[in-house]
Amino acid sequence: MNIAELQDVCKEYPSFRLNKVSFALEEGKITGFIGRNGAGKTTTIKSMLNLIHTSGGEIRYFGMPLAGHEKEIKQRIGYSTGTVSWYPRKTIREIVAVTKTFYPNWDEEAYRRYLAFFGLDESKKPIELSEGMKVKFNLLLALSHRAEVLILDEPTSGLDPFSRDELLDLFGELKAHGVTILFSTHITSDLEKCADNIVYISKGEIRAFRPREDFMRENGRPGETLEEIFLRLEKEARA
Amino acid sequence: MSALLKKELRLGALLLTYLFIGFGLMAMIPGYPILCGVFFITLGIFQSFLNAREANDLVYSALLPVAKADVVKGKFLFAAFIELAGFAVMAVLTLVRMTLLKDAPVYRQNALMNANLFFLGTVLLIFGLFNLIFVGGYFTTGYKLGKPFVIYIIAAFLIVGAAEALHHVPGCEAVNAFGFDHLSLQLLLFACGAALYALLTFCACRKACRDFEKIDL
Repeated sequence: MNIAELQDVCKEYPSFRLNKVSFALEEGKITGFIGRNGAGKTTTIKSMLNLIHTSGGEIRYFGMPLAGHEKEIKQRIGYSTGTVSWYPRKTIREIVAVTKTFYPNWDEEAYRRYLAFFGLDESKKPIELSEGMKVKFNLLLALSHRAEVLILDEPTSGLDPFSRDELLDLFGELKAHGVTILFSTHITSDLEKCADNIVYISKGEIRAFRPREDFMRENGRPGETLEEIFLRLEKEARA
Repeated sequence: MSALLKKELRLGALLLTYLFIGFGLMAMIPGYPILCGVFFITLGIFQSFLNAREANDLVYSALLPVAKADVVKGKFLFAAFIELAGFAVMAVLTLVRMTLLKDAPVYRQNALMNANLFFLGTVLLIFGLFNLIFVGGYFTTGYKLGKPFVIYIIAAFLIVGAAEALHHVPGCEAVNAFGFDHLSLQLLLFACGAALYALLTFCACRKACRDFEKIDL
């Protein structure tokens, strides 16, 4: 069953065009979203969160169109990015105290558990956190309201190898509990460890949307890793 | 909506904004253009908008489980909350000047505007202009604050100048009434100011909701 679906989503900028992007997120599966910088990953994710105004197509979650059901849908999804932090000079405690008032499903016990798991100190401010800890803080907010879908824009960027490994294990646990994850990254080795499906975007167009094994079999050569396949496909596209 | 207002008050607002409500006390200064207090209160709101913008507040808010239009309404609600707090201070002091101090020589011998119902109506008109020009203008881009604030300052001081000069125009002396003199006219002028405040804020909010939908964050 598809938890989220994008159908012919378009967005035009003066120098870039997201062209009829279509793919779906299967319930309880991890979907890796790959593409080089500027390929359209973040634009697609922003479209999925209604942060940008699309020029065409439709986005649906849980069978409902995002347009007109934004509140209900956002209650059930979580978002994390590796680059943006909110209210850099407020403490984590202050930000969380406000954020949780928006979520009737806020799980205080899960919040405490992930706070300890990520090693975050509530009295710290985002400005005092390293890039990796900011990622963990964003994930903490996303995980504490029992999101059924997690949309993660480069969540492992800036993390040390140990933290990345821990996070991938966590994604595996969440998946086992039925959570659906969209995981955008250019660190393709992370996807080899955890992704069920691969969405490959290049120059604003979806080039492939396949189960990971099928994607590797259809596009790869014997012994090639996902990263090697990705690099070769990009080079071929440029040639 | 109350959660969005709490978010504005606890995360977006600066202490300065609350302190600047105190500029409502300027309504008691004799021989001073007392409408300037309104400008300082809006300056405090401007500072909070600036602070919120630097804290990526719009993206944070748009990611919360609220409609995009609710983010806009939350900002208008916050501006109105501070404005009405400032207005309440001014209204109490105006009543004091209209009753206990209506014959005080420092206020009687005053070439500038008197604190009365016309003054309170003008206060609301300037707050309405702030909502229309500044708050509404902010949502045309989601990041440009300077230009709408400068345009607001020009409009606000034109109103201050006109309101201060009005009672010197022959036949318009009644706008500067003391105590409860010319009460019908004073009440009418206050009602006009209140109606304009509501109308300007409502129109600005509706337009801002439409504009914000089209903005890419």
